[in-house]
Amino acid sequence: MTTLSIDQFQEHAKRIESEISKVIVGQAEVMRHVLVSILSGGHVLLEGVPGLGKTMLIRTLGEALDLKFSRIQFTPDLMPADILGTEILTDENGRREFRFRPGPLFANLVLADEINRATPKTQSALLEAMQEGSVTVAQQTYKLTEPFFVMATQNPLEMEGTYPLPEAQLDRFFFKVNVDLPDAKDMVEILDRTTGKETPSAGKAASGEEIVQMREVARAVPIASHVKEYIANLVLATHPNNPHASPLVKKYVRYGVSPRGGQALVLGGKVTALLNGRYNVAFDDIHAVAPAALRHRLLLNFDGLAEGIKADDVIDELTREVKIPA
Amino acid sequence: MSTISEITETLDRWTRRWRWQRAITWSLRGFSIGLFVILATALIGLYQANLLRNEFLILVISASLFFPFAAGAIAFLYPILPIRAARHFDLLFHLEERISTALELQQPQKNPIPQEMIQRQLEDAVAASKTVYIKRRLSLHVRLREVIPALVLITALGVLWFRGDDWFKASQLARDVEMEVAQQQADVEKMIEEINSNQALSDEQKQALTQPLQEAMQSLQENPSLENSVSVLTRTGEKLQSLSNPQSQQTQQALTQAGSEIAQQKNSPMQSVGNELAQGNYVSAASQLENIDLNNLNPAEQKQLADQLDELADSLSSTNPKLADELSQAANSIRSGDMTTAQQALSNAAKSLSQAGQQITFSQMASQSAAQIQNGAREVLAAGGSQQTASTGQGHTPGEGSSNSGGSGSGSGNDAGNPQSGDEAGSSPIPQDNGPGDGGETAYEQIYAPSLLGGEGGPDVNLPNSGNGEGDVIGQGPVTPGNPGSSLVPYSEVYAEYEQINNQAIENGEIPPQFIQIIKNYFDSLKP
Repeated sequence: MTTLSIDQFQEHAKRIESEISKVIVGQAEVMRHVLVSILSGGHVLLEGVPGLGKTMLIRTLGEALDLKFSRIQFTPDLMPADILGTEILTDENGRREFRFRPGPLFANLVLADEINRATPKTQSALLEAMQEGSVTVAQQTYKLTEPFFVMATQNPLEMEGTYPLPEAQLDRFFFKVNVDLPDAKDMVEILDRTTGKETPSAGKAASGEEIVQMREVARAVPIASHVKEYIANLVLATHPNNPHASPLVKKYVRYGVSPRGGQALVLGGKVTALLNGRYNVAFDDIHAVAPAALRHRLLLNFDGLAEGIKADDVIDELTREVKIPA
Repeated sequence: MSTISEITETLDRWTRRWRWQRAITWSLRGFSIGLFVILATALIGLYQANLLRNEFLILVISASLFFPFAAGAIAFLYPILPIRAARHFDLLFHLEERISTALELQQPQKNPIPQEMIQRQLEDAVAASKTVYIKRRLSLHVRLREVIPALVLITALGVLWFRGDDWFKASQLARDVEMEVAQQQADVEKMIEEINSNQALSDEQKQALTQPLQEAMQSLQENPSLENSVSVLTRTGEKLQSLSNPQSQQTQQALTQAGSEIAQQKNSPMQSVGNELAQGNYVSAASQLENIDLNNLNPAEQKQLADQLDELADSLSSTNPKLADELSQAANSIRSGDMTTAQQALSNAAKSLSQAGQQITFSQMASQSAAQIQNGAREVLAAGGSQQTASTGQGHTPGEGSSNSGGSGSGSGNDAGNPQSGDEAGSSPIPQDNGPGDGGETAYEQIYAPSLLGGEGGPDVNLPNSGNGEGDVIGQGPVTPGNPGSSLVPYSEVYAEYEQINNQAIENGEIPPQFIQIIKNYFDSLKP
């Protein structure tokens, strides 16, 4: 496998963003976070009300990345075998045997649409795939093809008939990206693009192999020791029993961010730095990815939920309060 | 291709400028700290009345020079690690951690980083560093927030300097008192040494004289305040004065006078004795008297000796009768030709003369010490006298007294700088029909008695009928009874009452010993 140069990384990244922009209007931050997540090798959970283009974004990404894309619509009656695959009885030349038929999870880019509508049992079926990059069916483990990304969406409004994701599964998502309404200017552009004769489509910007190589390049970005120290302090400060925790954390947080949150900050920071044309991680990079990397890992207590405190408020306070090491 | 030396050189240049900026900032902070220290010290010093104006000035100048220089030098020379400087400049110039990362990349890394990435990062860092115009981004300037505390403190010190006259004066007076008390301590110590080295005094006499002095020393060391010092010195003076015997003084005068007269009689047997007596060498005189060998004298000399002994005895008859008797006995024995008895009588007289000499010396030392100590008390009081004035103002209030018996008097306190005489004397007439005006004098605290009565002129008291009207006069008015017939209360009746009060005061020790006789004479002069 040839190694991608830094220039090629930046060129590919620019092209991916450019291709997606042909289809997706606005949502630059969402796009950036999704891209960062992919180039970091992480899974993304997109949360937003219906109709904001979450599914469209991921589908466009699949087109731009020239990856095998599959979409799973999660419903309450969806079974694990429906997504993992199952063994079926085959008859070949009079010889009957069970053969594994891979489910939709066997793709490079999996869109788990409305993931919170499936039962916990089915949601858990994703755990091994997301963490280990493999699935086990009938005591047989099948390796998933690299790169493997799960892009899940969920609707924050409809709670009836949904099964909120357990903490363990949430933690496996590299980023949780909130998708908000576009502004008026973007809305007009969306209306123009989607109500005309031609439907825009994205071209191929990078292959799966190039994505894997881009991931390697991103991991090589240096990060200064005091930036790492800051990340560690930031993660520890989210725990209410930590002496450096802020008053908001102490009052409203039940459980803080796991070390996976720190990893997400470092990797996300590295990719962000490269995407910004820099070759080292800066505090600004950490601050840029902190909400997406930490918000789903921060569990608020009853008081916090009752008073309408958002995880983003806590993270915002922490990024201001935690001191930058000298 | 960029190299790390470009980064380090740039960093050195920035660090040098940063050091200057820190030095300026900390010099100003040091200046403020110095001013604050001065202000705090000055306030404490003035509160304790222990800071003079010139000391304050020296303090201000030295601290305002030392603190900024020290703070600036420390700030400039304080070690700054390059990595710390790099992190600082990254934040200061928004270099997004480029410089610090570039520096760290020169160290071995846990996770190997491709050379291409390192080189790219270095070039990026160098390029970013070149965009910084250091003279503009790190200009040498003084922040207003650093200047304001200094200005506030300078104002406070200025107020203290221009408006703190009373405090500085109080400090000056306190310092004068302190120095005077120290001087008195030294004087007392010297007195003790002199007494101990005096061979003419016995150990008991030395002990008797030094004990009050040592007690005074200890008390002055424990509490050197004005009030205590004056009180202690006055009491000690009284104690020492009580040890002196007025008769000894008279004996001394008699011996000196007689000795002078005898010494003038050339080639007489007693000439050498007379010389010694005239010079006050009583022990030597006694020795020579004892050594006179009567058997070696011719009859004329014996007669002359007997006459001289009689002459000496006559002069001592009132002050030292025992010695006078022994001298007369010796003279009589010589005249009767009983040389053995005469020799014995001479020997006895010599012993008595020696004892009298010791007593005279003891009394002299006690009297001298008492005078010195009391003089010291006056000097301490004089040193603190202005202090009293400063707090109470000039004493020029005239006092007036009137008498229903026809006599009238007026008193005036005119002793500038002595608040007791100014404020108190003559301020309150005694509301009784007491004939002559009393000058309105009121009671006074005993510890100020020497000053009140003696002023600065010494122990002499200017009585109302003998005062010269300047300074020391505490009351003026006719001291003679009012016109006959116009008094409502007979003079003879009130006199007894006042004499009784006087006697009571003397018995209670309220009157200093040296004034007892003077007051007694005064009452005697008023006796109906």
